[in-house]
Amino acid sequence: MLDWLDAFLISGLFGVVQIIGLGLLVHLQMGLTRVANFGVAGFWGLGLYVFGILYGKVDWPFGDPWQFLVCAIAATAASALAGLFVAWLISDLDVDGALVGTLGFATVIFLLATAWSDLTGGAAGLGGLGFPYDAGPAKTNEFIWFVLTTAIVAGILAYVLWVHRSPYGRLLIAVGTNEPLARSLGKSSTRAKLTLFTITSGMMGLLGVMQAVMFRFIIPANVTINITLAALAGLILGGITRAWGAVVGVLFTVALFDIVIQFYVPLPQEWYTQAIPVAREAIFGLALVLVLLFRPKGMLGEMKRPQLMRRIHDFK
Amino acid sequence: MPETAAETPTPTTAEAVLTISNLCSGYGSVQVLHDLSFEVRNEIFTILGANGAGKTTLLRTLAHLLPVTSGSIGFRGTDVTHAAAHETARLGVGYVPQEAAVFPDLTILENLQVGAMIGDRAFDECLEEVFQTFPDLRSKTHLRAGNLSGGESRMVACGRALMQDPKVLLLDEPTAGLSPLYVEQFFETIESIHRTRNVAVLLTEQNATKALGIADRVMVLSLGEGSTPVDAAEMTKERLKEAYKL
Repeated sequence: MLDWLDAFLISGLFGVVQIIGLGLLVHLQMGLTRVANFGVAGFWGLGLYVFGILYGKVDWPFGDPWQFLVCAIAATAASALAGLFVAWLISDLDVDGALVGTLGFATVIFLLATAWSDLTGGAAGLGGLGFPYDAGPAKTNEFIWFVLTTAIVAGILAYVLWVHRSPYGRLLIAVGTNEPLARSLGKSSTRAKLTLFTITSGMMGLLGVMQAVMFRFIIPANVTINITLAALAGLILGGITRAWGAVVGVLFTVALFDIVIQFYVPLPQEWYTQAIPVAREAIFGLALVLVLLFRPKGMLGEMKRPQLMRRIHDFK
Repeated sequence: MPETAAETPTPTTAEAVLTISNLCSGYGSVQVLHDLSFEVRNEIFTILGANGAGKTTLLRTLAHLLPVTSGSIGFRGTDVTHAAAHETARLGVGYVPQEAAVFPDLTILENLQVGAMIGDRAFDECLEEVFQTFPDLRSKTHLRAGNLSGGESRMVACGRALMQDPKVLLLDEPTAGLSPLYVEQFFETIESIHRTRNVAVLLTEQNATKALGIADRVMVLSLGEGSTPVDAAEMTKERLKEAYKL
């Protein structure tokens, strides 16, 4: 049934969907609330590793799907708690401080993944993971998992769109634009930021869980800064303040390189392992510079609140 | 935590809404306000002063956006010296800063909605009252606040504070930089808000003539020190010069 679908293409599409999900969550943090986060890989990686360790190393008295569900919930909760802790640490810092703080957290996760080899498998990696179902060939299982992950990311997009329309979203924008003024309106800005960071970090952890199952093997190289950069590049190119910014931006960056060029542009074979990965990062960087110079609000432009309000309230 | 504004009765004119005692405040090690003591009743209390006198620092301190170094702040008999800014707002203190007074990415309606996040009154009822106070806003609710003129921004900021259903309104130089037409209109509006909505107003101004025209009592702030508050009618040019230390 899935003969037309290449296993590598499923993997590429899965990666695109993952980065879109992360970009959407960073949009809520940085685009609305202006809480800088350079540690996306840390929250995502924590979910990935906590799930991997719990699923692969603990002898559970029950099997799948309960084993998967328990481990996934625990990993998501671990990322959410880490998000709460990091948000508390950086809540009074400026953008520079928040960037350094979150990057530091991601570095700690990477170092733990590498050095705590008894638990994480170190550089050799952590295996023993699998799908919580068996629908037949590996490709079929992977395709089902890709669809499930896409559904989760669609849920994240729906959540982002809801936040844009909700009183909570307006509070986040107010906090991001002018925090002292927002504090003088009767709502705790600190609580709003901690809540948002906790929820979004937990969702990043859940995406990490989906990654762990899809590839059934975890190595420290999974949790490097590359995933943070991919999410940020896509989001900034698309438009950091727009709900659809991450979707559009990631399609023009990660999807363009990892799917269109990899699968549909006939290039010499050796380019795929050497030239393209380097060109990918260089072109991402160049595109970021050009967009920030000539269209600083990203491809979709600035936040379109008047249009949104017209739709909601049907102003004449 | 003290009770919320909605649960407390409206004060009579003689009752103090705000009581400031020996207040000192500033920025880090720089002390700007020195030993200020006064009270605001259900009235229009105006604080006059030149640039750098400490007017903005005073209002930011009363809104709890700056920490109190020493002294105390009371709100309707309750000590709120160490309350957080959002707790003060919930008590019924509405604050309208002089600069960056609106959320530019939000529309006018959204700015007003953000102001209505607290309080028990129906949103539509509060909104209608704001539209009656500032009729110009009614037809522009979907516009981005960042695209408004100075006068329109002040209306939105003031309207947002009114959506909180405040018991006292802290207005930081609301007419600074506005055209003479807007200035006249704004002073009339402030007076109307106080009279019709029974809201105490603490107003800082540089425009002494206009401010004295609507004020019940007045105090002059000079280099962080306050003069003794007097009835506005008693504030002669000579007393004003003396208070300004000219």
